[in-house]
Amino acid sequence: MTALRLTAVTAGYRGRAVVRDVSVHVPVGSWLAVIGPNGAGKSTLLKAAAGLVPSAGEVLVGGKSVAALGHRERARAIGYAPQTPSLPDGLTVTDYALLGRTPHLGPLGRESRSDLEVVSGALARLDLSALANRPLRTLSGGERQRAVLARVLAQQAGVLLLDEPTTGLDIGHAQSLLELVDRLRKADGTTVVSTLHDLTLAAQYPDRVLLLDNGEVAAVGTPAEVLTADRLSRHYAASVTVLTAEDGSPVVAPRRR
Amino acid sequence: MAKPTRLAWWHLLVVLAALVVAVVGAVLLGAIDLGWSRVLGEVWAQLTGGRSPLSEQESAILWQLRMPRVVLAGLVGAALACSGATFQGVFRNPLADPYLLGAAAGAGMVVTILVVLTPSATAFLPAAAFVGALGGVALTWGLGRSAGAGTATLLLAGVAVASFLTAVQTFVQQLNTLTLQQVYGWILGGLSTSGWGQVLTVLPYLAVALVVLCSCSGLLDVLALGDEEAASLGVRPGAVRLVVLAAASLATAAAVSASGLIGFVGIVVPHVIRLLFGASYRVVVPLSLAGGAIFLILADIVARTALAPAELPIGVVTAFTGAPFFVLVLRRRQT
Amino acid sequence: MPALVVAAALALTGCATHSEPPASTNPAGSTFPVTVTPAGGKAVTIAAKPTHVVSLSPASTEDLFAIGAGPQVTAVDKLSDYPASAPRTDIDAFKPSVETIAARKPDLVIVYDDTNNVVAGLEQLKVPVLVLKAAASLDDAYGQISLLGQATGHTAEADKLVGDMKSQIADVVAKTPKKSLSYFHELSADGYTVTSKTFDGQVYGLFGLRDIADSAGGAGDYPQLSAEKVIAADPDLIFLADTTCCQQSAATVAARPGWSTLRAVRNGNVVALDDSVASRWGPRVVDLVKAVAAAVQKAS
Repeated sequence: MTALRLTAVTAGYRGRAVVRDVSVHVPVGSWLAVIGPNGAGKSTLLKAAAGLVPSAGEVLVGGKSVAALGHRERARAIGYAPQTPSLPDGLTVTDYALLGRTPHLGPLGRESRSDLEVVSGALARLDLSALANRPLRTLSGGERQRAVLARVLAQQAGVLLLDEPTTGLDIGHAQSLLELVDRLRKADGTTVVSTLHDLTLAAQYPDRVLLLDNGEVAAVGTPAEVLTADRLSRHYAASVTVLTAEDGSPVVAPRRR
Repeated sequence: MAKPTRLAWWHLLVVLAALVVAVVGAVLLGAIDLGWSRVLGEVWAQLTGGRSPLSEQESAILWQLRMPRVVLAGLVGAALACSGATFQGVFRNPLADPYLLGAAAGAGMVVTILVVLTPSATAFLPAAAFVGALGGVALTWGLGRSAGAGTATLLLAGVAVASFLTAVQTFVQQLNTLTLQQVYGWILGGLSTSGWGQVLTVLPYLAVALVVLCSCSGLLDVLALGDEEAASLGVRPGAVRLVVLAAASLATAAAVSASGLIGFVGIVVPHVIRLLFGASYRVVVPLSLAGGAIFLILADIVARTALAPAELPIGVVTAFTGAPFFVLVLRRRQT
Repeated sequence: MPALVVAAALALTGCATHSEPPASTNPAGSTFPVTVTPAGGKAVTIAAKPTHVVSLSPASTEDLFAIGAGPQVTAVDKLSDYPASAPRTDIDAFKPSVETIAARKPDLVIVYDDTNNVVAGLEQLKVPVLVLKAAASLDDAYGQISLLGQATGHTAEADKLVGDMKSQIADVVAKTPKKSLSYFHELSADGYTVTSKTFDGQVYGLFGLRDIADSAGGAGDYPQLSAEKVIAADPDLIFLADTTCCQQSAATVAARPGWSTLRAVRNGNVVALDDSVASRWGPRVVDLVKAVAAAVQKAS
């Protein structure tokens, strides 16, 4: 069963195509990492999948075309977190997470008891309950990323599109966050597509990896299949060694020339 | 259980109490001292049909001058503060005010031209101001859309339109210096010619606009995330902006038509509400409505009594609150 | 009778407190050169009888035409609308341009205030300028008429005009019953008024009328009174000096909220004055006096 299927998706800005003819299918409950050099079009691909930028080609979510869905229906199906989310300083963590319920709220925008329960649950799973009434500006970097995740979780969407969710996090916090996402998606059956900078982390958590270069699919497959030294040095113009960890997952290490 | 920031019953209680105090104060204070016991006697007489301790002239002052003026001050203050809060939400800028999109410049220009062409048509000034305000905003909207629909372009368009219309107004004024006093009297803002008629004229516009603004206040919190994230949550930022700015401009135009250009209410009141009650627009917009009413009623008391028997233009009183307010904001930013 | 008039005229000039008698080197004369000194100003010498007079003061324009100096006037400012035969131009008395005035080749210029450095500019061009400020009293007004008579070579006509004015005013005042009625003189729809110390205030004072602005506690000679104050004072008479500029009338006043309770409105004692008659200190002050007298008669 495919949760998300992209077919010949082309998207860009001002007549210039940034993503060219990308096709990929993401099975339900799986996690696809999108990697590639700077300017490859990773963020644009995610936005096209979310329906936030106009695109040619077809994006199917749960078998339905994203373009045909109404705004609210689409927001209930797809959760999206940008690379630099704006967190309004003065809003409390609860108010911010509650914004994720927007596509589910009634006509006057009043939240129901069940909406508040979903938010409480999301905050608890992300270990933010103690900070529930604190304004966002008082949170640390790691806490802020968790708050964004709480908002996306509150949407209760089947597909999560996360653009660089570990931005600005040290290795410990990055690991915690990715562990969390992995646990949540296995528990809920959510499909995750994320762009990731760190290639080793991209090898450890996601099921499959898609390498995007210059807007086109350069390779797609399991981490071991995609992350070869030869391919990486070609597409990233970098000098790397790919080692293997104890569990068999590839570890990408830069090598001084 | 999650506790979002929402209007609580005690918010409403505090606000209602403050409003009552302001209204009572405004009715009792003025250039003429009527005496609170005599005013009570008059109210009692009206209710029971008995004889009032006030003379006919004093009664006229109370019911035909002061009361409508207090009500109008409340309505105009509510409109300006609520619109101001909305503009701040749409433009994500705490210094946005309801005149940002050319409402003030449009109204000022049309009023000036009307005064110059037909000095006798003072009865048409409110309608002219209304049309001018809406025209200014429409011009800004059109200009902004031709350059892309984001908030930054709207702001720039607003600055361009306001500068142009103000230049036209100043030019026309310079050619007709005799009308200067009349035009400035209107520009500086005042509630002195109000009667119940004026209240009834603006009431329908204000009622509609304020209901729309309060209903959409939750969407302003979503807009605060930026257009992309708002769209990902199923909200159409362009459509929300159109509806909300239209309602806010309607409220501003109605306020301007009734009382001229009163500044600072739209910036100061929402800010104070935010400091006291939190940053969620679900709370800030409705409380700014009440806060604006109270603020302008109090400002009008000062305008009427500070230099009695003369009257300060109310725009001067609100401007005096502007300076200390900005100092306060500056100092808070330093901490 | 003429002796009485002359005696009365002399007596009234003797009572002058505000203006200096215009000094001149040829007292009886229509011969030039002549030196005149306006009240509060410096002496100005006029070499020959002026034939190109430019007046930027509506009151002075009226004076000039009333004393027969009309043919000598080449240009008046855009607000000098009386008499209708005055050669109006679009010179703005608020911001006069020395060049536009000089273009008329004036040999005498009259202004009521030195705005835009016009006096200095004209003096550089060797054009005599008379600064005739707003009259503070009737005597001031008479003094200006006499001065203009000397400056333009019409002293006999000027003296006759002053005498006529004084006798007419005295006549009207004598015939009007003196009642201590209160009044409100409205300068603009937002409540600006005059106190009894002003020129208009003194005219009202001739009839023994009480100005409600005197006891209202306002600031200066032209205070603003809020509507509440006027209504509470309930004046017997309301004079509107804003009928032309601001289109006010007895009807508009009655329509204002609360004003219909005033006795002046109820008894039809809201008097519409011609704006320019009420504000200028020229020969038409007699018309103002007559209008006030008529109002007092009606109200008594």
